[in-house]
Amino acid sequence: MKWKLPYLSTRGNMAKPGFWAGLLIILLVLPLFIKSPYLIHIINMTFIYIILTVSFRTIMTSGQLPLAHAGFMGIGAYVSAIAAKWFGLTPWLSIPLGALVAMGVGILIGYPFARLRAVYYAMISLFFGMLILSAVKAFAKWTGGAAGLTAIPPLLGFSKVPYYYFFLGLTAVSLLVLYRLEISRPGVTWKAIAQSHLVAASVGINEARYRIIASAIGCLFAGIAGATYAHYNTVVGTTSFSFMATIMLLIYVVVGGVGSFIGPIVGVFLLMTVPELLRELREYVPYISAAIVLIVVFLMPKGVTGLVKSFLSWLAELWKSRRTSDAP
Amino acid sequence: MLILSAMYILVALGFALLFSIAGILHVSHGAIYTVSGYICWQLSQAAGINQWLALVLTVLIVGSFGLFLERFCFRPFTGDFDRSLVVGIGIILILQTTIVVTVGQESRSMSPFVAGILNAGPVSVSLERLVTFAIGAALLGVLVWFINNTKPGLQMRAMSQDLQGAIMQGININRVSAIAVVIACASAAVAGCLMGAYINLNPFMGDVVLGKALILVILGGMGSMTGIFYAGLLLGALDATLPVFFSGSVAEVIAMGAIIVVLLFRPTGFLGRAIA
Repeated sequence: MKWKLPYLSTRGNMAKPGFWAGLLIILLVLPLFIKSPYLIHIINMTFIYIILTVSFRTIMTSGQLPLAHAGFMGIGAYVSAIAAKWFGLTPWLSIPLGALVAMGVGILIGYPFARLRAVYYAMISLFFGMLILSAVKAFAKWTGGAAGLTAIPPLLGFSKVPYYYFFLGLTAVSLLVLYRLEISRPGVTWKAIAQSHLVAASVGINEARYRIIASAIGCLFAGIAGATYAHYNTVVGTTSFSFMATIMLLIYVVVGGVGSFIGPIVGVFLLMTVPELLRELREYVPYISAAIVLIVVFLMPKGVTGLVKSFLSWLAELWKSRRTSDAP
Repeated sequence: MLILSAMYILVALGFALLFSIAGILHVSHGAIYTVSGYICWQLSQAAGINQWLALVLTVLIVGSFGLFLERFCFRPFTGDFDRSLVVGIGIILILQTTIVVTVGQESRSMSPFVAGILNAGPVSVSLERLVTFAIGAALLGVLVWFINNTKPGLQMRAMSQDLQGAIMQGININRVSAIAVVIACASAAVAGCLMGAYINLNPFMGDVVLGKALILVILGGMGSMTGIFYAGLLLGALDATLPVFFSGSVAEVIAMGAIIVVLLFRPTGFLGRAIA
C-alpha cells in the first residue's frame, strides 16, 4: 500500500492584512446582530473545533496521522475539569494546566512513537487514543466515567456572548501562532520530513526531534481546545474524544484540503456548522454531511480550497490570455 | 468465547482481505455488518420469510452491494489512503442514518436461528451457540481453502505481496479486488446476521466489531491470514477471561497498553511483514 503524502506548499500566501483586518472587524461586531444564543453557541463550538482541527493538521504536516488527537483534547478537558471541580482551582489556571498536561503527554509519547512512521504511527496513535478513553472510564470516580463529568465550573458565567469574544481572541492567537510556525523553519522542516524522511535525515534534520516538536505543539493546542471546551460546556462526555471524533477531524481536514492552512477551517465550517444550522431536519442531518463529504471527495481531489485555488488560477490565466490577445 | 472469536475472525478476515489486497482501510466494514443484521431482521420478521432463507438473501444483497462499492467507491481511489478513508466515512454515515431513519435508534431483538438446548451429560450448551460457532468455523475453513487453493485466491495473495508484479503476470487486478470485496462483504453479512440473532441489533453495533477487527488485523500482522487466526483466538479468550479478574474498563486499559507495547517493538504484528 502506498502512503501518499499530501502536497504541501511552503510559501506563505496569506499575507493580506486588509482582508484579515476586515474579517476581524466583521467578527467583532457580529454578536450585535445575532440575537439567538443558540447561533452564538454554534459559532463558539466552531471556534473550538477550528483550533482543534488546525492543530491536527499541524501534526499531519510532519507526515504522520495522529489518530489520538481527540483523545488529547480529552486529556486537556478532563485534567482541567478535575482540577477545577475537585481541587477548587480557578478555571483561569486549570485551563493552562490541562493544556500543559496534554502537551507533556504528547512529548512523552512522542519519544517512543518517533520510532514508527506512516501507517504504523497511525495505528499506534489510534490505540493510544483508545487507551485514554478507557483510562477515563476506569477512573470513573474522578471523571464520571461513561456518563460524563457534570457541573464543571464555568469560565465566564453562563451567557454565551462573553465566550464568543474569548474564543474569537483565542482562535485568532492560536491560528497566528500555528501559521507563523508553518511558514517558518519548523514548518518547512516538518514538510521535508513528510516528503522523505531519508532525504531529510541526509541533510542533517533530526527527524525524531522535529516530530516530537510537532506532536508537542499539536497536543498543546488540542489541550487548550479541550480545556476551554470543558469550562464552556460545563459537561464533558467520552463521545467527544472517541476514535470517531478523531476521524471526523481527519474528514474536516481532507474535505477542506490538506495542502492548505485554511483547509481545515473551511472543512469545519462546511461539515460542522452547516449541519448544525440545518438542525430542523433532525435525523436526516447526517445525510447532508455524507453528501458534502462524497461530493468533495469525488469531485475535488484537493479539497474545497484546492478547487478554489485552481479556479482562481484558471481565472488569472483567462485574464492574462485576454490581455495578450487584446494587445495587438 | 469461541463464538466471539469465530465472529471476530470472520469480520476481521474480510477486513484484512480488503486491507492487504485492495489497499483500503475499509472503515465502513462495521456498518456493512450492522446493515446486514438489519436486512436479515427486516426480511425474516417484517416480510415473514424463513430465517435461513433470509440469511442467504441478505448475503446475496450485501454481496452485490459490495460489487457496487468496489466499482464506484474504491476503484477511483486506489492508492489514495486519505480519500478512500473519507469515502468509507461517507458510506458509514449514509448506512447508519438509513437505519436510524427507517428502524429507529432503539435496539431490536431477532429470534434465534435455532432454539433449544443440547444436553450432553453434565454440560448443556445452547444449540444456537453451537450452530453459530459451527457456521463461523465452517466459513472460515472455506475462506482459508479459497485463499490458499483456488486461482482467484492465489491471485489475491500475489496482489497482496506485490501489486506491480501481479499486474505484470497478467492478473486482472480489478476483477480480483472485486471478488475480494464481495467475499469480505458477504462474510461480514453472515457474521452480522448470526450476531444479530445472538445478541441484539442496534444501529451502532458495528463500531465495536470494527474496533476488534482493526485490533486483530494489526496484532496478527497486516497481510498475514494465519496471524489473524491466532490474534482472533487470543482476543476472544482475553475478552472472556479478563473481565473475571478486573472491572471492564481496567481490563480495557491493560489490553490497550499491551497492544501499544507490542506495536512499539513489533510494529508489523505477530506474523506480519513490513508494508511500505
